[in-house]
Order: sequence, then C-alpha cells, then structure tokens
Amino acid sequence: MASQNMDPAAATASSTAALKGSESGGSAARGSVSKRLQQELMTLMMSGDKGISAFPESDNLFRWVGTIDGAQGTAYEGLRYRLSLDFPAGYPYQAPRVKFVTACFHPNVDEQGFICLDILKDKWSALYDVRSILLSIQSLLGEPNIDSPLNATAAELWSDQDAFKAHLHATFQQ
Amino acid sequence: MEDVAMEPDSVDLSGPEPHHRVSAAWDAVTAELVSADPSMSDRDLSDALALLSRRGLSRLLGPWLLETLQLRLSSSVVPEFWSGLHQPENELQERDRALVLLRAFRTLLDRLDPFLNGLQRLGTWQEEGRGGLSGPGPRGLRERAFTSIRALLLFSPVPVLQERVLEFYSRTFSIYMKPQGGEEGGPAAPEGSDDPQASEGGACPGCGVPAPACWCQEAMELLQELSQMLWRLQLLQWVSTEAVTSILHRLIEQRMEQHCRGEYERSFLLDFQEWLELVLGWLSKVFIGEKDGDCDGDGAAPGGPGGPGSTVLKQWRCHMHQFFCKTYVSMRIEELFSIIRDFPESKAAIEDLKFCLERTNQRQQLLSSLKSAFESRLLHPGVHTSDILTVYISAIKALRELDPSMVILHVACQPIRKYLRTRHDTVRQIVAGLTGDSEGCSDLAAELSRGDPVTLEMQDSDDEGAGPEDWTPDPTDAVPDKTGSKRRSSDIISLLVSIYGSKDIFIDEYRAVLADRLLHQLNYNTAREIRNVELLKLRFGDSHMHYCEVMLKDMADSRRINSNIREEEQRLSEEEQPPLSLSAIILSSEFWPSLKEEKLELPPVVCQAMEAYTHRYEKLKAMRTLSWKPHLGSVTLNVELEDRTLIDLTVSPIHAAIILHFQDKSSWTLEELSAQMGAPQELLHRKLALWQQHGVLREEAPGRYCVVETGSSGERLERGVMLIDSDEERDSNTTTQSEQREEKLQLFWAYIQAMLTNLDSMTLERIHSMLRMFVATGPVVTEMDVNELEAFLQRKVRDHQLIQSAGVYRLPKSN
Repeated sequence: MASQNMDPAAATASSTAALKGSESGGSAARGSVSKRLQQELMTLMMSGDKGISAFPESDNLFRWVGTIDGAQGTAYEGLRYRLSLDFPAGYPYQAPRVKFVTACFHPNVDEQGFICLDILKDKWSALYDVRSILLSIQSLLGEPNIDSPLNATAAELWSDQDAFKAHLHATFQQ
Repeated sequence: MEDVAMEPDSVDLSGPEPHHRVSAAWDAVTAELVSADPSMSDRDLSDALALLSRRGLSRLLGPWLLETLQLRLSSSVVPEFWSGLHQPENELQERDRALVLLRAFRTLLDRLDPFLNGLQRLGTWQEEGRGGLSGPGPRGLRERAFTSIRALLLFSPVPVLQERVLEFYSRTFSIYMKPQGGEEGGPAAPEGSDDPQASEGGACPGCGVPAPACWCQEAMELLQELSQMLWRLQLLQWVSTEAVTSILHRLIEQRMEQHCRGEYERSFLLDFQEWLELVLGWLSKVFIGEKDGDCDGDGAAPGGPGGPGSTVLKQWRCHMHQFFCKTYVSMRIEELFSIIRDFPESKAAIEDLKFCLERTNQRQQLLSSLKSAFESRLLHPGVHTSDILTVYISAIKALRELDPSMVILHVACQPIRKYLRTRHDTVRQIVAGLTGDSEGCSDLAAELSRGDPVTLEMQDSDDEGAGPEDWTPDPTDAVPDKTGSKRRSSDIISLLVSIYGSKDIFIDEYRAVLADRLLHQLNYNTAREIRNVELLKLRFGDSHMHYCEVMLKDMADSRRINSNIREEEQRLSEEEQPPLSLSAIILSSEFWPSLKEEKLELPPVVCQAMEAYTHRYEKLKAMRTLSWKPHLGSVTLNVELEDRTLIDLTVSPIHAAIILHFQDKSSWTLEELSAQMGAPQELLHRKLALWQQHGVLREEAPGRYCVVETGSSGERLERGVMLIDSDEERDSNTTTQSEQREEKLQLFWAYIQAMLTNLDSMTLERIHSMLRMFVATGPVVTEMDVNELEAFLQRKVRDHQLIQSAGVYRLPKSN
C-alpha cells in the first residue's frame, strides 16, 4: 500500500485515509475514535459558538484543552476558565474525563477541578460531543445544582449572589 | 643602445698590438658579418677575432650589429616598407593590392636579410667559441633583433597594413573554401553555392573575378610566400592574428545566421565541426612557418614535430570552438522561446544548445533572457490559459533536456507558475487537459496515460536511493529554497499540480468535472471515466480518488437499479404501465459535489412517474429514498402538431415541462407559466426560445405564447438533434475555485483561533503542523503551504485580529 512509502508526517495527516484501509483489531478502533474526534473538532470549529472553545493540546488527538467564558448575566461573566478533556479509548461509548484546570469556585466543582455533571457520569451518551459538553458546563456555571454540592461553601454562598460574585472575583486567579 | 655607447670607454686601448691592426681586424670582421656571401678564410677570421678578443672588443660585435640594424631600420627600411605599402595609390585591383603587400614584405626581408644572416653567423661563432668569442648565441641575438624589428616596424602601425592583410586573408580563405572539383565537395559545397558571386556569369567562386582572370592558384602561392616571410621575420603572430581572428569571427557569425537561425530541427554541431576542420586547413596554410618551424628551434612548437596538431593550431582550434559555442548560445538564447514552443520538433537545437552551454558561461544570460521572453510574450492577458499551459509543458520538456538538474526549469518558469496562479481557469484547464477534453494540451492526457506509477510523495523520498558518490552539487544559479538540494521534480503532471501547492484542489476540480460529465452524458457508459480515475489513482493515491470511485459506482448501480425497476414495470398489467418511461441516475449525495439547486415544478404526469419510481426504489433498497433534482436530466419526446410531428427531440426537463403545459392549453403568458412551474420568468423566457426556434411556439403578444399548429414545413429540424441552449453554461453545478479557496481560509482561521484560544501562543511552525494534523475536511485533507500560512497570519496581524511577538502568535486580549 502506498502509505508505507509516505513520510511519517504525511502519514499522520492522512491517517484517516490510511486507517480506513486496515480493518483489524485495536488500531482500527483507535482509528475510528480519531476520526470521530477529528470530526468533532471540525464541528466545533464550524459552529462558531461564542464563549466555548477547545483544541487538541499537542499532536495527541485524545487530550484536548478547553476554554469556557462565563456567560453574560451570570456571576461568572468576564471570567475565563481553562479545562482539560481526556478521551478514553472507548470514546464515545465512555464519557471523556473533563476537569477544570483553572481553579473554579462553584457549588458543583471541587478543589481539584472535578465536575459533578450528570452527562459526564451516568447520563453520558455517545450522542453527546465536545461541543455539547462545553455548552453544558458553561450553563452549569450559571445554574448550579445546589442539591448535590461538591463545594459546600460555594453552595451556601450561592443564595447571596452579590456576596458570591464578590468572593468569586476576589479569589479568581488566572 | 646605451651600453654600446659606454663600452668603448672601458676598453683598454693600450696593448701590444698597434692601433691600425686592431682597426683593420674590426673592419674585416664587421664587413664579413653584414656581407651577403662570406669571403674571409676561416684562418683570417679566427686571427682577427682573436685579436679583437685580446683587446676586449669582440663582445662589442653583437651590440654593434644590433645598433646598425636599428639605425638602418629607422632610417630607411621602415619608411621604405610603409611607403611601399602605400605606393601606387591608384591600384584598384584586389590582386594588385595583394601583390603590393607581398612586394613590401619582400623588400623588407631583402633589406633585413644581411643582418639576419650576420646575426646567425655571429651567433654561430659565439657558440663555437671561435677566437675566444662568447655571447648569448644565435638564439639570444636573434631574439633581440626581432624585438627591435617589431618595435620599430609596428610602433606606429598604419591601418592600411591590417586592411591589406585582412583583405588578402579573406580572399585566400574563400579560395581555400571554394568547392574543388568534387574532392573537397561535402561541407564546403553549400558555402560556394550560397555565395552570390558564384552566380555572376562565370566568376570564379574563389577569387571573385571572371574565370579567365582567375588568380586563385597565384593567391595561394602568395599566401604561402607571405606566411614564410612573416615567419622568418617572426612577425606572423603580430601581423596575422588580428586579421585571422576577425575573419573567423565574422565567418562563424555569418554561417550561423545563414544556416542555424530559425532552424531548430537539425543538429549543427557535426556540420560545424567539419567546417571548422576545413577552416583549420586554411589556418595551417597561414601559420605554415610555425608549423614547420619547430626544428629551427625558435620555440614555436616544442611539443613534437610539426603537423596540423601543432600548438598554434591547437590554440586556434580551441579558440574557434569556444567562439562557435558562444555565438551559438547567444543566438539560441534569443530564440529560446520559439525553440521551446516548437519542442519536441526542436529537440536537436536543444541538444546542441546543451552541449554549447556547458562550455560557456552564459547560463545567467539564458535565464534572464528566457524569463523576460516569457513575461513579454506569454504572460499577459491576451494569451489563453490553455496556450500558457501548452508552452509551460513544452518548457518543462525542453528544459529538462537542456538542464537535467532542473535548475533552469525551476528558475525560468517561476514567473509562469506565479502567473498561472492568478488565472481563474488554470485548474479547470489542467484537469480538462488531464482528462483529454481540451483541444489545446493533449500532451497532458498522453502524459497521464503513460501511467508513470510514481506518486507525488514517492518522488520526494527516492533520492535517498543514489549513493553518495553520485551526488552532484547544484549549479550556482540554483535558487536557495527550502527544498535545498532535493531533486527537483521534472514530472509534468507533478509540476502542474504543484502550481497551487496542493493536489487537493485538482482532485476537487476533477470531481466537479467528472460530475458534470456524468450528469450531462446521461447514459451509463463510464468506460472512459473509469480509465481516467484509475490513471489518476496512480498519480494521487487511492484514498484521494475514493469519492470519484463512489461516483462511478453510483453510475453502475443506477444502471442496475433502473433495469430492475424496468423489469418490474414490465410485469405490470397493461393499464398499470406508467405513462412515460423514466430512468434515473442515483447519486450518493455525500460523495458528489454540491449540485446547484433550481426550483422547478414538473407537470403532474411526470411527478407521478417519479413517485412511482421512488416507491419501487424504496422497495428495492430498504431504508432509503430518493430526492429528485427535477432540473437535471434530459427528456426525449415527440411533438405532434396538426400538420407535422417532431420526433425524438432530446431536450432538458424544463423545456419538456414547458411544452407539456402547452398540451393542456394552447396559450400561456409568462406569468402563468412561471406560477405554474415555480421558475423565474426570465429563465422561462430564455427556455421558450428553443420552441420558438423549432416553430412550435410563437410569441403572439409580448409575454404571451401560443402553439403554432400549422406551420411551414421548412422550419422542421432534423430528428434526434441534441439541443442545448447556447447561453447555458455547462458547468453550472460546481463552485468556483476562488470560492473554495476563500472557504478554506475561513476554515483555517476558525482552527487557528481555536488553537490560540486554548493554547495561548504558538509559533508559525506549530500552527502549521497543527493544521496539517487536525484539519480534515470533507473529501480531502486540506493542505496549506507554510509560506502561504505565514502570509495569511501576517494579514490577520495587520487587521489587528492577531498579535505577533517574539516569534509566536497570540490572540489579542479583548477577544
């Protein structure tokens, strides 16, 4: 096959094409995950949503960096959060591991940045994609689930929006 | 000479011999030296010399002789020579002028002969040590004498000498080169017949005078004599070189103009080689003395005994060869554009040029001249793109012959490539060429079908194969670029495809062309397209042609499905038979280029047929359905009118829909039709023209059309003619190249923004590699040259959409 004679860089670029040909074992599975991720990236690029963004961190398509801007009209307006997204080999049948890299003071986010969000846990479905995850997290910022808090302080403070906002902005660090 | 003046003072005149004896001996010896025939006996001579030596006078003999020679030269010989040359002012005959020239030299030789002999004699005495003589010997003395002669004679040369010599040499040359009764025949023959003088009744082709007065023979003898005299005086080089050089240069240029200019299909190297050998024959006559002279020990040819290979002739051969190459290259450089245009007919000229170019230093000249020729003759709006491509292809072929290192090709064709990038139809033309559709560049189809299985990628990698010994450095005029010494591609298709830096654009274009072709053809015959796709697969790789393969497969599948459905219909009872036979081409929409949407409501009868077809298709292929493109396709119909029938007209669906409406109602206005068919009035107006042309409809009032039931039979058209509106462009259902390009850039910008948002700052290289890795769009992996990317980023920087600092790019903060 022609791909044997390509240089590695070119082979990476046309990995989708090359992988389409070989249909054996794990590499094919990984290939199809790559393809799906590449497609998701494309969708994300084309969607042009404001305030959410993500991109592969390096040449590894399975590890992305995401960026969420706090939505207008919420306490998080004007704040920008960095996230990391790790895609398991079983993606999209297994949920990606998503956590905040920037410290986030939020009722459903713990100190390590882990997020309590149903679609990232038991409600995950292969129909979700990076875009829907990021949009969900963005809306979670404005509408926390006070009933099952990871950060009790934040949950208590939430009722007083002005105090919450003051605390949030005082403690926010890039 | 001053040493002569000084010497007598130092001479000790007091001695045993009386003065008168010394004086007598001196007189005797000096007389002996300059006399024509020696008369003194050996004994007397030796005694006299011995006497002089004892008085220390013998070493004055040499200087005395030279001094005397100089005196004579300046007082009488030189003026005599010049006046002899001028003398009979009224001589008009060329021959007389030659004779005068000869006479002048003869006199000169006569006058100088005694001295030369005297020198010879004195030298011999010195060598023999006769009477205690010593000195530099004949050679040294002669050297000094000849220097004096040259100095005094040619100190102020009069132009007339050069003129005469030139004239005489030219004459002897043409005499030498004239055809000599068959034996000299061959290459010399055309020279004679080209000479206009030859046709002037009976004139000798050699000396140019009427045959009875021919002095060819005499001239050759004179030449020999002159050469010998000049050689004896050691003036040969000084007098002849200039004349010979100018004659040869003129002749080479003349011959080149006559024979080679505008003539590219024949090699001239061998002809010229032969001709030069002939010329050398004449040269050997001119430099006859030098040729035979080495045995005299005058240093003309120390490397062996005479012969035509003597040093002087060798030098001349080199000189002429070099001059020939230079002249040839200069001429061909002027003509290079035409040569390239005529390639491969002009292959001979290219090969000659290659040979000569390697021997001269004119590559730079060639490059700049060719570049400007391209720019002035090719790269302007008046030239059709296909013509530019044709010339470019010829240039690739010709220049890869000329310069296997491809540097000339690479550099000279840069302007063409750059210009082609600005032409909008370049890609289309190239693709048309590849598929053999265009009239202009049939070469491309041939090139493609040569089926060179070297894919574009492999070209880059296989230069590792050659051993390190085979490596040759690039010529100095190579452009230092990022490809470095990597072998430059000479493959025509690769070069054309790389004009845009990416093959995807071509594959997309080919897809569009293929789609058009399949959709316009409307039969399921794809043999030619399959062949093309297979050939392109060899070039571009299987994966890139995948979409095209699916398209072709669609055609095959459609044919099968159609026949299936047709069979099913045939099994139906008579009344259930569909009112019109419909066959469809079923496209897998994902794999076809986007088709232009056009609104068109087809008449109910057609819609019913389509529905029925769809129904059957759905039964055949579960879970799938059809979405019709009513405006594409073709309809074959008969139009029956009161007095005539038009049979088997093949028209587009919209034409058919129009005429079908007239079946129910014989008169329609444009508005009514437009409302009925959902198509714009303007379009309908255009389409109606066809039926008017057929004499089926006529416009009875502005915007109102009616059927012409009875009409003149003369307006009938031949049956089965395919009618296409002339104003309808065939390639209506594809997007243009610049639109594609704009889309691509837009997409890239989205990616770049995203990566900078998440990864803060990145270098150009990193951005480029990220794009390469992650941008996978639709049918192709889009690629972008790093330079192109840099230009794009710089533009964004200028628009303040991007910040560049310390080698990295970032987004502005406010974003």
